[in-house]
Amino acid sequence: MTRRVALVGGGAARFGVRAATWAELVQEAGAALFRGVPNLRAADVDSLFVGAAEPERFAFQSHVAPLAAELIGVRPSKILQRTELACASGQSAIRSAYAAIAAGLCDVAVCLGVEKMNLPSMAEANTSMACVMDRPWDGPHGATAPPFFAMVAQRHMLEFGTTEEMLAAVSEKNHRFANANPIAQFYEKSFSREKLLKLPWIAPPLRLGDCSSMTDGAAAVLLVAEERARDYTDTPAWVLGTGQYSGFHNLAHAGPLTEWTGLTRAAREALRSARLEIGDVDFAELHDCFTISEIVEYEALGLCPRGEGGRFALDGQGDRGGSIVINPRGGLLGCGHPLGATGIAQALEVYEQFASRVDPRRQVPDPEVALVHNLSGSANVHSVMIYGRTAPGAS
Amino acid sequence: MSGPSRRRPPARSSARTEAPAPRVEAGPTAAERPRPRPSAEPSRPFLLDFFPLESAAATRLARFFERLRAGRLSTTRCPVEGELHWPPRVACPVCHREALDWVDLPETGTVYAFSPVLAGAPLGMESDLPFIVGLVDLDGVPLRLFGRIVGVEWPALAIGARVRVEPFAVDADRVFYRFRFVSNPPGPITPSSEQA
Ligand SMILES: [Zn+2]
Repeated sequence: MTRRVALVGGGAARFGVRAATWAELVQEAGAALFRGVPNLRAADVDSLFVGAAEPERFAFQSHVAPLAAELIGVRPSKILQRTELACASGQSAIRSAYAAIAAGLCDVAVCLGVEKMNLPSMAEANTSMACVMDRPWDGPHGATAPPFFAMVAQRHMLEFGTTEEMLAAVSEKNHRFANANPIAQFYEKSFSREKLLKLPWIAPPLRLGDCSSMTDGAAAVLLVAEERARDYTDTPAWVLGTGQYSGFHNLAHAGPLTEWTGLTRAAREALRSARLEIGDVDFAELHDCFTISEIVEYEALGLCPRGEGGRFALDGQGDRGGSIVINPRGGLLGCGHPLGATGIAQALEVYEQFASRVDPRRQVPDPEVALVHNLSGSANVHSVMIYGRTAPGAS
Repeated sequence: MSGPSRRRPPARSSARTEAPAPRVEAGPTAAERPRPRPSAEPSRPFLLDFFPLESAAATRLARFFERLRAGRLSTTRCPVEGELHWPPRVACPVCHREALDWVDLPETGTVYAFSPVLAGAPLGMESDLPFIVGLVDLDGVPLRLFGRIVGVEWPALAIGARVRVEPFAVDADRVFYRFRFVSNPPGPITPSSEQA
């Protein structure tokens, strides 16, 4: 018999090109967590899960979980660990905490995600990103994220007639939501479709505005066992289900680039465990590391037929007033993408949306169910969680 | 995954948006010339060098690099269920047998997808910009390999282009492989013509 698990609040450091070190970002997120959950005392925390993708590369620091514990002033007595799954490291922390709490191994767990990505040398930062791939086999060719996702976009354009305007529609929407998110890297910075289509190419057909950024950031959320939830909040976000699928790693095994069956499988498992269907989801935080990612994700989730993701974006079906709100936080495109922090910040958005505490310009009206997705690497792994405003099994 | 910083837009990109006249036969670029041997660069740590160590002292796959040095791209194949591996393995991921056969791979293939890289290169590859990477369906085997495509400028390259495998010297001690452009497909590529 597993226990129900609630996300009861959190806080985040400002995302961006920050004049702050890795350890300083951790402290900011910790302080924001304790401000965001006023009833939380450090002594309550029995476990800490730290989502951090590449602290060795970006901050020259290993053994980061005890360092983070010291920095935020907690002394875990049940479980202390770091979770690494590249771009999904933050969600991995939450899935791990969820599993541990549900199994009864711990009761009050902080999930803290962090990444310091902007280094004095951008080439060195790009090198760190590139070793997410199969380093000795794909890396020497110059495999980083933009060219991989550019190939996805190129194939989607060839196979389905997707256009640059459709890509720009995704970017414009997510940047517009980020305008209303004070922690976003692109807070109060607007990008029209016309402006986005004039930005320089990085890896054609992807332009600068099609790519999420190298971002410094950190965020933390608190997960607790059901009997502790009301100690901390009147508006818990309940974990209803989760799913994950890993299909390949070396790029030779990517298969058809425009069909992300791994996401379809992970979402199906998450929704099955939540006893829900995709039509029950009110809003979703999807992994828009690139504009084309969000388009392929619409299709893989069954929000639209295969090949029609670009049209779905152009028609505003993922916008407020559409069939489902996608990335009201501002997405990775608008918030930036500090690898370990992204999944935590997405979960925090779910909590705040359920509590109707976000800026009205991005508040989803009365959301009951949310889906959070992270891909990692070259979309070879997909991780999905489903949250509900109502506790599972309750009615 | 994350793209390059918006803080530093690439200086070359605006020039590159004006498509240069297609030039199919290109001479060797900085990307194609051998690199200095790492021993001449003691300040560059091994862990910032993408190219693997190739000697038998460093890897059980030294034979892959020996064969590549002799002009042959090869990989392992499992003698039990015939699984063709990529990259070469020391244990079959299907049946976990450790005694594997070596087989040569076809030298030619067709471009399935490609991407020009105009900005955001890792350390040691900045001077290669702009370069092209792509996925190539090797002729006659179920393998789609990722690699650099050289010998063509990106606006002139099309999906469906023919390429051949080209071993090249990384430095005085090491060798790796890339694809050299041969020709573009005769007509426009569509998903249906691709399967023909
Ligand atoms: Zn086998």
